[in-house]
Amino acid sequence: MDWATIIFYLLAAVAVLTAAGVVFARNPVHSAFALVISFLNVAGIYVLLGAEFLAAVQVIVYTGAILVLFLFVIMLVRPEDLRELNTAPRVQTALAWLLGLALFAELGLVIATGVLTGARGPYPPEEVAAAGGNTQLIGRILYSEFLLPFEVASLVLLVAVVAAVILGLPDRFLTGERARGLSLSLGHPTGADRVLEAERRGVPAVDAPDLGEPGTIDTGRAPVGAGRGR
Amino acid sequence: MTAGDIVEYVVKSAIIIVFLLTAFAYMTLYERKLVGRVQVRHGPNRVGPGGLLQPVADGVKLLFKQAITPRGVDFPLYILAPAISVVAALVTFAVIPVGPGGVNLFGYRTDLWLADLDVGVLFVLAMSSLGVYGIVLAGYASNSKYSLLGGLRASAQLISYELSLGLSLVGVLMLTGSLSLNDIVNGQGGTWLGFIPRWYILVQPLAFIIYAISGVAETNRAPFDLVEAEQELVGGYHTEYTGLRFALFFMAEYINMVTISALAATLFLGGWRGPFFGGPWWLLLKIALLLTGYVLLRATLPRLRYDQLMHFGWRVLLPLSLLNIVITAIGIVLLG
Repeated sequence: MDWATIIFYLLAAVAVLTAAGVVFARNPVHSAFALVISFLNVAGIYVLLGAEFLAAVQVIVYTGAILVLFLFVIMLVRPEDLRELNTAPRVQTALAWLLGLALFAELGLVIATGVLTGARGPYPPEEVAAAGGNTQLIGRILYSEFLLPFEVASLVLLVAVVAAVILGLPDRFLTGERARGLSLSLGHPTGADRVLEAERRGVPAVDAPDLGEPGTIDTGRAPVGAGRGR
Repeated sequence: MTAGDIVEYVVKSAIIIVFLLTAFAYMTLYERKLVGRVQVRHGPNRVGPGGLLQPVADGVKLLFKQAITPRGVDFPLYILAPAISVVAALVTFAVIPVGPGGVNLFGYRTDLWLADLDVGVLFVLAMSSLGVYGIVLAGYASNSKYSLLGGLRASAQLISYELSLGLSLVGVLMLTGSLSLNDIVNGQGGTWLGFIPRWYILVQPLAFIIYAISGVAETNRAPFDLVEAEQELVGGYHTEYTGLRFALFFMAEYINMVTISALAATLFLGGWRGPFFGGPWWLLLKIALLLTGYVLLRATLPRLRYDQLMHFGWRVLLPLSLLNIVITAIGIVLLG
């Protein structure tokens, strides 16, 4: 066995083990971190295949951006709240088992028949080297042969960005009754929301202090200025 | 790969690591001395001649300090976090060329870099994005509100400024047409009019400024050191770390400063190239100059507010770096 094979098995073993860890870890932060390690090992396999560009992008995009944001969200949610996420409907559990077993059977079949390597693709290592390397070739193909899928993907991302901006806009940037229904409160000062809600229902937004008759002392009432509270 | 190659790589890695650790130790002394000068103090001057042995004393002290582990920490992640920070900081230096290739050293022909990757620049960005995990996990695993808030701030800051840092490099990449740091240094060889070195800072001044600012923010240094704003967060993500574990975070921060400076020198200031003599000495000189800039920034500027930091990153630096790309593209098309 040569070095590359040994390294491949090392990377593959860690990738598979940590992928299992993602599923079985009790703590969601541990799950996310196991996924980080799994992705890094997959990036290592890309390097072994001579796809350095893909490896670097895998690390930058998946582990450097997406999973950090995952961790971000998980850390901000209390672990007690996350337990509720595990209450999937029965049908879903059954479906998951069924599909998982089907996938497992398919994989077993492929390995058993021994046709693991498909037809040789149009870009063998020699051709990649002749084109000036991995990065150049990917750039060229992406902007010629796969231009349409590439542009469609960017359009989809643009839609997501616009949606995120709209959801995150504070209320004061949106005017009119329809616009109000569009915005989602993301922890902006609650006062503004309350005033809007009160205006909509036609009730005073702020509890006015009930001053009563001047000169009378009513000890049973809340002190002036305290409002009625909520 | 022969056994000799492996020995060569190991020796080179050891040299780089020893250099970075020494740089870290003496950077702390240099910073304290210089900040002292700015504030009309002497700075440390008791240990050794002129305080030169102060880093050794500090190191020994940190080594023998009791390692306190607070109750309720997530122990595996708590231990792993400082290690991730240091490893990510050390690994980045592997792709920085410190001199020309094919040099005769002690009768042995070798290149003055550890690795010349086709995707060197991307490798640097990937490793710096991994460094975030050390901080985030430390914040989470410490089981402390100060640490958690520090960790969250740090990750938000790093993600925001990484964008402008990466985009500021695109101009240089467009000029060179390569992602390899070696090609970038070689692209800056030669002179204009016989005496002006062809450094990219002269054609990409805006990119250099954006890179320098984002670099300071990436290393969590003043005036972007909100992550460890002691008035608000005690120590930020490393509040609950003591002794050697704390030293590792400290080490990562300083090594990151050295690496960011070395990258700035490589990408914008001609790397190891320079007039009169070439090689590692020029690179060292440039790194020292940029590190002095870091310290002077810390000595003069007050800390930003958190919202100012975010607005500056997203509304000023990011559009400017995109503008720089557009200008560079137009320039390349018009001037060939």
